[in-house]
Amino acid sequence: MAASSLKWKTMIAGLSVMSVIAAGCGNNAGSNNTGAGTNTPVTNDGAANNAAAANNAGAVETAGPKKGGTLTVGTFTDIVMVNPLYIADTSSGDVAYFMFANLLDYNKDGDVVAEPWSLLESLPEISADNLTYTLKLKANAKWNDGQPVTAEDIAFYINTIKDPVAASPGISTFDKVDKVEVVDAQTAKITMKSVFAPFLNNLVTAVVPSHILKDVPVKELQNHAYGKDPAVTVSNGPWKWTEWKQKQYNILDKDANYWAKDTNDVNIEKVIHKVYADQNTNVQAIIKGDIDLVGAIPVTSVEAVKSKGLNVLLAPGPLYEFMSFNFNKMNFGGKESPFTGEKTRQAIAYSLNRQGMLDNILKGTGQALNAPFLPGTWADPGADAVAYDYNVEKAKQLLAEDGWKDTNGNGTVDKNKVEFEFELQYNAGNSRREQVSTVIQDNLKDIGIKVSTKGIDFSSWIEQNITPGKYQAALQAWSLNSPDPDSESVFSAKYFPPNGQNSGWYNNPTLDKLWIEGYSTTDQAKRKEIYKQVAQQISTNLPYVFLYQYGTPEVIGPRVKFAAEDTPVAALPYGAFFGVNKWWVEDAK
Amino acid sequence: MGEYIIRRTLQSVLVLFLITVFTFGLIHAAPGGPTQIFLSPGLSIEAGQIRAEQLGLDRPIPIQYFNWLGNIVTGDLGTTFKNNIPVGEILWPTVKNTIILMSVAWILSLIIAIPWGIYNSTKEYGVSDQTASFISYVGFAMPTFWFGIILQSFFSLKLDWLPLSDMYTMGKEGNMMDLIQHLVLPVSVLTLGFLAGYLKYSRASMLEVLEQDYIRTARAKGVKENKVVFRHALRNALIPVITLIGLDLSILVGGAALTEAVFNWPGMGRLFVEMANSREYSVLMAITLLSAVFVVIGNLVADILYAVVDPRVQLGKGGKA
Repeated sequence: MAASSLKWKTMIAGLSVMSVIAAGCGNNAGSNNTGAGTNTPVTNDGAANNAAAANNAGAVETAGPKKGGTLTVGTFTDIVMVNPLYIADTSSGDVAYFMFANLLDYNKDGDVVAEPWSLLESLPEISADNLTYTLKLKANAKWNDGQPVTAEDIAFYINTIKDPVAASPGISTFDKVDKVEVVDAQTAKITMKSVFAPFLNNLVTAVVPSHILKDVPVKELQNHAYGKDPAVTVSNGPWKWTEWKQKQYNILDKDANYWAKDTNDVNIEKVIHKVYADQNTNVQAIIKGDIDLVGAIPVTSVEAVKSKGLNVLLAPGPLYEFMSFNFNKMNFGGKESPFTGEKTRQAIAYSLNRQGMLDNILKGTGQALNAPFLPGTWADPGADAVAYDYNVEKAKQLLAEDGWKDTNGNGTVDKNKVEFEFELQYNAGNSRREQVSTVIQDNLKDIGIKVSTKGIDFSSWIEQNITPGKYQAALQAWSLNSPDPDSESVFSAKYFPPNGQNSGWYNNPTLDKLWIEGYSTTDQAKRKEIYKQVAQQISTNLPYVFLYQYGTPEVIGPRVKFAAEDTPVAALPYGAFFGVNKWWVEDAK
Repeated sequence: MGEYIIRRTLQSVLVLFLITVFTFGLIHAAPGGPTQIFLSPGLSIEAGQIRAEQLGLDRPIPIQYFNWLGNIVTGDLGTTFKNNIPVGEILWPTVKNTIILMSVAWILSLIIAIPWGIYNSTKEYGVSDQTASFISYVGFAMPTFWFGIILQSFFSLKLDWLPLSDMYTMGKEGNMMDLIQHLVLPVSVLTLGFLAGYLKYSRASMLEVLEQDYIRTARAKGVKENKVVFRHALRNALIPVITLIGLDLSILVGGAALTEAVFNWPGMGRLFVEMANSREYSVLMAITLLSAVFVVIGNLVADILYAVVDPRVQLGKGGKA
């Protein structure tokens, strides 16, 4: 069911953008992470995670890492295919994570680095004008059919993704790339169309074997058996894909001929990726011990799972939720959007009890944020962004200053004879948003704004409301695929619907200019300064009310052991498996 | 009889055709078509159109329908949009798994319900009858997923007597004992659900017959009660029950999405839900068609059985069948 969840994300230029997150804790949860994705370090995950890790490590201090054994991962959607050119859903991405080496990887802090198991020898050499990246492959990097990983593979991969005929979901990831040249077998040179500072993040990606796929007509690539039939799916990671039992499980076995086994000798012999019907059956299965890890369980199950002594990691992930305002007249019967006034939007922000939502609904899986940059990342504006504390009086005052008064005494404020009422949409079945929308309804009632809430089936909602920008207000979330702060594609007037993701029709020329400046320089200090201005501007002007960063609770069973530094990092893409190459399992069978 | 069967079969083909037209239209009318769902994040409009062309989704719906129909007639169920896997490859294993689960539960419920219901009709409002009534109400009223979870919590998580879910333990595929262990809980849930209807039905049917004049006559003649029940009443009482069984034949291939989900049974109920969410039209159509075929066959079988057990019914001889 959640394969469908993966969503929607537009194509637009550049950014390794973002995707609307489906249901969160509902049946569509966890649809973040696309192929070329990537992410952000979160600083505050320390407490819970480290404690958990200490427990784990402590339990085996005498034994230390063991070779062998099986790690069974539970999920609730089957893979679609594991061809990196076409991975767009969480399950396929998860399985591919075990199978493929990336050009570059993230370290624990979310920095892009060349790890011993990365395909590149070192970080790319970037030219003085910031337009060319020279990538050097490790000489011993090999596919598991014995062929070397070459610069041809890199060129083939990027060029294919860029080709619209290939219909690859990663197309926007490389659209700022002008060309890829093969310098020699181990060296590739990427030339950009313009300076694009976040580009390094886009190199945290697998590549595909050109020697297998180069003769396949581009149109036929998606139908090719590569990525669907384990027998022809040549990969280059520590585990190889050996079986796909459709709708039931995938099996990955440790590859005895893995090229990096000297430096990255993984402990776990077999990884089973097992499909369950939904999150609740996942919960039952991990309590029973049938599976060892679940990346996302419903927040409502956390207490039950904890009471069984299982390790629950509660750190917020790379996603944030917001209430989007719509500024397009067409959604208000041709009249001006009631959200037009800046003070009105600020009043709404002050009226919402976000701490209450965090305490009672998110239950430890979220934290407040005031700008579209995750807390703890380098662009986190901290105190430079305007924080909106829960302050009903201030909210009422701002509303009044903006001209909203209850002139007819019916309890709802009005202006120019128009009552302040709107519909707040969210996707039906997402219990978190259902609860949050009720809180918003109550909070806004206190300042005289009448809100009706409406849950709509996810795919209809995206098609009929979000993509065309037809709604009054909506509860949505963005999943950030990169720790880079660039978010032009969701806030700039360049990206109005239906082809862009600025579905609230937000128009702020000052901000539009800042976004471009932000990615057009690679000078980190300058970028930091620019994004600080962005944060100040956006938190004052409020295209959205930024609600909170949130995550999905990950559960790890008692058989899985790891040292503290190999604890999963929720805020990274595939962070649920971070460090899995060092983990081991007890009672290895 | 032969003529009747031919006529009914031809009617059935027409019915099936109409069902496919109707469901095809309905599925395509649902908002959020596959171009929204399987065309993945980041895909440009242009690339989306290329993909839609490749899959024939850009053509008018009636044309798409006739293409589909043409393929079906030649036995080609099509492929999935998202990853181009032949529908049969996904569908048939789940059909087999569902039939295994459902037939065990169904047959078990018939074996329990019919004799018990008949027995209860002879001891109306006795302990056994009251117990059966109670079970029926519970079976009707209890949501299967909830009952399933209760059974799991107790017999699997707490007592550890039975496996929690799945059809086989991994690595034991095909092992009969393993299959039986995995069947116990889901079959219990389903059987309870089916039991309710058959218990009530067989009891009521028998009671009705027992009040008929010819039974009273038999009793008045001094025929022993046992003989009255088993010789005179039973056959007539079974007529409606048998009809019901025929009509329920389609149970074998459907109606267990929730139970399959709770017990992670790799069957077609679960498949249908998943495919509906991702708008995999070809899989949905195949499942719908298969279910429709079973319903139609079930109806046909019910009619024929009815004629066989009830001498008053004469098929295909002009009058009403």
